[in-house]
Amino acid sequence: MAMMAMMATTPYLPVAMTIARSVRELADVFTWTFEVPHGFEFKPGQFNMLYIHGIGEVPISISGDPATPERLIHTIRAVGTVTRVMDKLGEGDVMGVRGPYGSAWPIDEAKGRDVLVIAGGLGLAPLRPVILRVLGNRADYGRVTILYGARTPADLLYRRELESWRGRFDVRVEAIVDRAGTDWFGQVGVVTRLLDSVPIHPDDAVFVCGPEIMMRFVALELEKRAMPREAIWISMERSMKCGVGLCGHCQLAGSFVCKDGPVYRFDRIEPYLRVREL
Amino acid sequence: MDDLERVLRAHPFLAELEPEHVKFLVGCAKNVRFRAGEYLMRAGDREDTLYLIRQGSVAIEMPRPGSEAICVETLGAGDVLGVSLLTPAAAHLDCRSRETVVALAIDNACLQRKMTEDPRLGFAISMRLLERTYDRLSRARLQHLDVYR
Repeated sequence: MAMMAMMATTPYLPVAMTIARSVRELADVFTWTFEVPHGFEFKPGQFNMLYIHGIGEVPISISGDPATPERLIHTIRAVGTVTRVMDKLGEGDVMGVRGPYGSAWPIDEAKGRDVLVIAGGLGLAPLRPVILRVLGNRADYGRVTILYGARTPADLLYRRELESWRGRFDVRVEAIVDRAGTDWFGQVGVVTRLLDSVPIHPDDAVFVCGPEIMMRFVALELEKRAMPREAIWISMERSMKCGVGLCGHCQLAGSFVCKDGPVYRFDRIEPYLRVREL
Repeated sequence: MDDLERVLRAHPFLAELEPEHVKFLVGCAKNVRFRAGEYLMRAGDREDTLYLIRQGSVAIEMPRPGSEAICVETLGAGDVLGVSLLTPAAAHLDCRSRETVVALAIDNACLQRKMTEDPRLGFAISMRLLERTYDRLSRARLQHLDVYR
């Protein structure tokens, strides 16, 4: 509680946390777990700023289960200066953490409706809390469908967890990859192909996360199937620095992705996705 | 024949086609079945058949000498294989059934004859093939972008 109070009054001050567990997910992707005995409350879709002293700070989505706030989980791809250094760290190393920041997936509003989760690549990480929350409160929702696209079978994130979700009778999980060898028995193609075999209703709640191009294609295909834009939610990525809407690095038209996003209702953000300068 | 007409009418590719056109096509079509591992078409084969897949999964694979083929797309129920009907050419990819595949095989030469005899049928089939070709091109472009990298 003291920690949360401190974070509320000083939003720029990171709290030191020790990496309790580090798991290699893919060649360049790893997942860290921080033990937070007093709990780290967050809403699915929110992110934290992770800081390595002397190197820099990066925004990373929270990918843990909101029902277990004593375990703060982040899945990170080593892609830039800071995350490549992070890739060399492991259990016992100390990080600066501040957050949580940003908007959340409207999971409570989706109660009583069918839920369609569409993820691409590392986009499954910010959606994992949604899936865990929905599956943890399964009776509150209608049909639950998870569609996931990745580059190759070797690039499927949370593969064991995907297989375990797929083994349940109350959730449908479909995966597709861009290319594969003959030992892959799943589908091959783009993620929008999976929509062909899924019943879609205008009242569904749709949560989409992945590369921006993929999200645009997905939204286009959903609209072809009469899905209203207001029912589609996407998570945006921009260069976020302060996390509280002051520095302006992540400005997207009249909004700041760190504060007003990263989760947006599609109809509110779509016009800006077509503006080249943004 | 009635049964074949009913099956043709039920395939999404021919959805909303005029009933007399479906009847007209019956003579060009037959039901076919492929066991897992069989090839519907191999790279280099003349594309003389349009397959309307009813059941099962087909891998579209790029064969590579000396190494494993790369699967670039899978097709399933409702899909069409052999869309080069409009510009006949040799297949450039292998099409392998990954499980038992049930399909309608339409003889291309017969279909083209009927499309010429009845331009309205020709237009309807051409539009459907163009739509499928455009969809596949869009998907190929998105795949080419390699957005998950």
